Amino acid sequence: MERSIIHLNVADFAAAVERAFDPRLAGRPFVIARAEAVRATVFDMSEEAFREGVRKAMPLARALRLCPQARLLPPRPERYARAMRLLLEAALPYTPRIETGRADGHLFLDATGTRRLFGPPMDIAWRLRREIRDRLGFSPIWTLAPNKLVAKAASRLVKPEGEYIVAEGEEEAFLAPLPLEIIPGLERRDLDALGAFRLRRAGEVAALGLEELRLLCGERAAFLHEAVRGIDPSPVRVAGESDPEVGGEERFAGETADEEELFAAAARLAERAGAALRRRRLAARRLRVSLRYADGGSAQRRIRLLPPTADDVLLRDAVRRAARAAWRRRLRLRGLALACEDLVFPPAQLALFPDAGGAETRRPRLTAAIDRVRRRFGEEALRVAAALPPGGA
Amino acid sequence: MSEGCEIRVGTCGYSYPEWIEAGFYPPGTRAADMLPLYARHFSVTELNFTWYQMPKAQALERMLRLAPPGFAFTAKLTRTLTHEVDPGQWRGQAALFREGISPLLEQRRLLAVLLQFPASFVRAPASRLYLARLIEELEGLPLAVEFRHASWAEERVFRELERRRVTLAVLDVPPLPGLFPPVEAVTHPGLFYVRLHGRNARGWRSGNLQQQFDYDYAEPELRAWAEGPIPRLAARAARGVIVFNNHVRAQAARNALGLQRLLAASGLLSAPPPWNEASST
Repeated sequence: MERSIIHLNVADFAAAVERAFDPRLAGRPFVIARAEAVRATVFDMSEEAFREGVRKAMPLARALRLCPQARLLPPRPERYARAMRLLLEAALPYTPRIETGRADGHLFLDATGTRRLFGPPMDIAWRLRREIRDRLGFSPIWTLAPNKLVAKAASRLVKPEGEYIVAEGEEEAFLAPLPLEIIPGLERRDLDALGAFRLRRAGEVAALGLEELRLLCGERAAFLHEAVRGIDPSPVRVAGESDPEVGGEERFAGETADEEELFAAAARLAERAGAALRRRRLAARRLRVSLRYADGGSAQRRIRLLPPTADDVLLRDAVRRAARAAWRRRLRLRGLALACEDLVFPPAQLALFPDAGGAETRRPRLTAAIDRVRRRFGEEALRVAAALPPGGA
Repeated sequence: MSEGCEIRVGTCGYSYPEWIEAGFYPPGTRAADMLPLYARHFSVTELNFTWYQMPKAQALERMLRLAPPGFAFTAKLTRTLTHEVDPGQWRGQAALFREGISPLLEQRRLLAVLLQFPASFVRAPASRLYLARLIEELEGLPLAVEFRHASWAEERVFRELERRRVTLAVLDVPPLPGLFPPVEAVTHPGLFYVRLHGRNARGWRSGNLQQQFDYDYAEPELRAWAEGPIPRLAARAARGVIVFNNHVRAQAARNALGLQRLLAASGLLSAPPPWNEASST
């Protein structure tokens, strides 16, 4: 069954909400951040501040150096949540199948079944945008595609304003010329692995077979193989529907006090959870890690993942960190459990992209440069310091 | 001139999944397969997605590959030039449209760009000036204009369109006050353009396309068009496009097939469907 998925996105949502509350902010640079925090970072910013180089999650001090004239506003999450509810209410008459992000201005609507009532989905999207503009003062991007992945990629393409329609059968051709960063669910590690082979566009990766991709990206290959072709069977989750349970438990044969054993269990849990998340096209925003002690007691740690992820390695590291932090009692362990929480449709990696000078974009370039040197001059030509024997060289 | 008038019949849009249920497309038809199937029955379609979204040359090139030789298109002008005009930006939008639509023009598949104006576009100095400027800005494209407001139904307007070689869209709409009436005017000897919207008076102003365009033309209504206005329009133009917009439950497709049969029977269609080979010469 062909689907019609509408993605509505109010770009820089928190900033858009603040502007709707205070029209005097229109056309002016402003930054939303908790100024009193010790290491304050940018929560959101207006388009004007963005153009000056301010980015989400950037240290506030740096943001204000880049854009000294910016007004500083405190984040008001309750306002954003309320605005999100209003968006949802505007969309609900058109379809009950709506998936919302958490107060982030993103809505997916499945208009597959409602066209007979309301007409062509592109007309629904256009009307809805107009209603939201007239009633709430926002000017959301709308896109229409056969699935969420392509609809969201299209939104990223036209941001901060506009619309895009990708017809059924056009998905792969649409994505082919686009940078990989724009495809939701591709993680930093995928981009690094592919970038090392100068694969930067969806079409270049789509030209590879599944086996070739497996050599480059290991267990991520199956997901990547579909993603770059614009394949995404994941359903639009109904607003208010509870998250599917993703996680599991590892019991130690006997009991253990061995951190290695704990870490191995963490890796197995993370791998299984990663695969389950990718299969559902979800990413976890939070992990809950539970330890069971030999005396029957337990300890828990929650850990936030930013950005949300379904990457085995990132999940593994997070589970290990949480498990180590939870293990406070000097007791042997009986088991380790993982639950992935706050599951969201995976983000694209663009948030890091504009920060051209930052470490995140330098690193893949560095890796690629190292690879080039090694290809030309041999493995020994360059070595990473951490890999050297102590006291050597 | 009716002997020589090349008439094409089709529908406004062709990509409607509900036309599968309605029996026009076979079960399981995918969106990408709809145009080739549509083109087995009709020789023209009016693209309406170009109203919602600025056409993109690459996407149109891909679409063209699906259409058989001889199949032609008309395309609605994007809403930012007809319904949501920004005085500071419309010229840029016009340039984008021209660029986006270029594959159709270059491959000689574009019969007309339809400038469809809303009922709120009333004849007044500002709107007259805008229309004149817009026509100038789109020079070189084959243009047809559809008015929804009755204030434009004036001989002076028709004469001006004639002078600028712009086709006036001839409409079939419900008999409601204020609507542009069915005027049989040919303002461009190169093309007449008929749009049949259905006559659902109740649904017309509902704000819901499924109600507005829910109408099934009865055989006598189609016959009246086939025997009256169409031959008269055909006598005064070299080509003609007739499209049905009552898309709900594939009524447009059924009615278009019906009209095509009637026109073929009366000798107004030179070749019965399938047209593809016949009209590619």
